[in-house]
Formats: sequence, C-alpha cells, structure tokens
Amino acid sequence: MAYVIAAPCIDHLDQSCVTVCPVDCISHDPGADRKAYIDPDACIECGACESACPQGAIMLDSRLPGAWAAFAEIDRGWWIDPEWARAAVDAVDAQVA
Amino acid sequence: MVVELAPLSIAGGPRGVRRVPDLADNAVLVARELLSPTVARIVVRPDGGLAPFEAGQYLALGVRVNDRVVQRPYSTASDAANADAHEFLVRRVPDGALTPRLWGLPVGSRVRLGPPKGAFTLVAGDSRTHLFVATGTGLAPFLAMLRTLARRPHPPRAILVHGAARTEDLVCGDEIAALAAGGLPLTYVPTVSRPDDPVNRGWNGRTGRAETVLASVLRSADVPPDDLSAYLCGNPGMVAAAETVLLARGDPLGDIHAERYWTAPGETR
Repeated sequence: MAYVIAAPCIDHLDQSCVTVCPVDCISHDPGADRKAYIDPDACIECGACESACPQGAIMLDSRLPGAWAAFAEIDRGWWIDPEWARAAVDAVDAQVA
Repeated sequence: MVVELAPLSIAGGPRGVRRVPDLADNAVLVARELLSPTVARIVVRPDGGLAPFEAGQYLALGVRVNDRVVQRPYSTASDAANADAHEFLVRRVPDGALTPRLWGLPVGSRVRLGPPKGAFTLVAGDSRTHLFVATGTGLAPFLAMLRTLARRPHPPRAILVHGAARTEDLVCGDEIAALAAGGLPLTYVPTVSRPDDPVNRGWNGRTGRAETVLASVLRSADVPPDDLSAYLCGNPGMVAAAETVLLARGDPLGDIHAERYWTAPGETR
C-alpha cells in the first residue's frame, strides 16, 4: 500500500505534502505537471502528506473512492513514464469535469 | 458528484525505466547509547555538517538493506545552535524493518539521513507558559525545544509532562533536571501509566497516563488558558485525549500544537 494523490490536487499543486514528506517521495516537474505524484515504492505510509494537504487530495490507495481509483496507477506510472501520466491526468480530469 | 471512470488504457500504460531516487548514504552513526532496554539515543553526523533546522523537526533515518534504503522519520533532540550531529531517541520495535538493524549496526557505519522537515516548531517570540506533553520517545523534540528555550536570556516558564508505561522508559531525566538547574524555569512531571506492573515496583512518583494528569498539573501550576502554549508529541491516542482536556479547559485550538508518532504498517506499536 501507499498514499496516492487524487483529483483535487490537479491545477492546485499546493506542495505542502512535499514539505512534510520525510522520505522525499513526492515530486512533479514544474511547468509540465498539473499535479504531484507519490512514488509508491518509496512511500513509508506515515500519512504526513494526508494531514498536510489543504485540498484533501491524498489518501491511502485502499481508501480511494471508485471515481479516483485510476490515480494509484497514475502516481506509479509517473515515475516510469511522465508523459503517459500527464495524458492520463488530462483524460481523467476531462471525464470528471 | 461521483463519476464512474472507464479503465485507463492510454498508450497501453507507462513505458520506460522507473526513476530511482538517489539515496546515497550521507551520514555516519557516531554513537548508540542504550537508555533503557528498549530505547536508545542514536547520534548521526551528516557529511558536510548539519543543514539548518529548528527544534521540533524530524529527519528520515535509513539503513541500506540490499538495494533499498529502509527509512523511518525521527524527531531530532539536538539543539540547532550547539550541535554537530543529530541525536534521536529510538525505541526498538522487535518486528520493525529498521530498528533491529540500527541496534546491530556498528558505530562508524554509513547511514542515510534525509533533510529536516516539519512544522512542529516553537512559536517565535512566545513568552507564555510552554506546556510539553510527551509519551515515550515523543520526548525527543521537547529536549530540542527545552535546550532552545534555555538559551534565551529570559526563558518562559515551561512544564514537561512525560508519560511512559515503564519507569525505565522515562529516559533523559538527568538531562531535564540539569536544564532546570541551569536556570530554565521548568516543572518536570514524569508519570507512569501502569503503576501496578511489577517492572514499576518502587516507583513513588506520579501515576496515570500523561493526559489524565494534565488538568491537575495545570491547576497546581495555576496556568490560565490565555497564558498557555501547548505542544503534544507521541502516541496519537494521547495527543487526541490531551487536546480534549485542553479544549475543555478553554485553551484555544490555535495554541495547541501536535506531532503524532506513527507506526509502520505491520509493526508493533
């Protein structure tokens, strides 16, 4: 399990989560990404990011509501293929909007 | 609004090689002192000196296990103005992924230390009574804060309530007493939550969980709600209960600062 950053982060990118994450496992490319991404292999599940996020965008993958389930795959995918993750974010955001 | 999304099938999924963060060992384990059978003071010196930090912040301490670094966050007990290393209070978790390894690591070993993080820090310029409530190794950030306050020309009054199930885990009592003897106006209240446990035989100090002694400690010290800045650290259950006690007393939520210690999934608290 790991924490996941879901739709409420899109176009907000508050980054309070980055400030508190003790293992620096949250990242994004400024100017290219619309949200931040958690590395599920590095996340230690401390929950500091969940408490810090003003958007309520972060939760354990096991607690993701169905509408946001895709974000677990998107967060994992960004660390392999950022372009794919960005396209996925755009696609999910278009569906929710 | 709830929208059911179609399964993602964008270009067949991500393609490429996973980016692996650079987690090189960057610090040295310089000391490990057993303070009780289960709690150690672990001192780690980062290569190139300490990055700026504030009392109350935490850092991830990690050791390399095969090709991975197992990391856990710990509050530093070091005084930012007088330290060349970070001092952590670490409780050994028998089934933990990190602490049994830390116990077995020879002094001088290379370890990984993350950057200082967190906003659980002293409010600048606050001259009100400072209440610190800790359970177990939640004492660590308060050692840093007390050391910081002790350097002020006119330190505020401070009250430290430290709760533990076993007397042996009421660690660092001598250091706390030394701070008080050095001029810090500090009231130190160690309390044992399981006085009937045979391991606590002979304890004649205060008994009860930290949050349950709180109201009477503040009454005895005659601290009104508008003269209190509260800092809570340790077991999340204690933090929640202590918040309830303070709010019931009329302390504003904005004057209550909390750091909840976390247990890794599958590990014993």
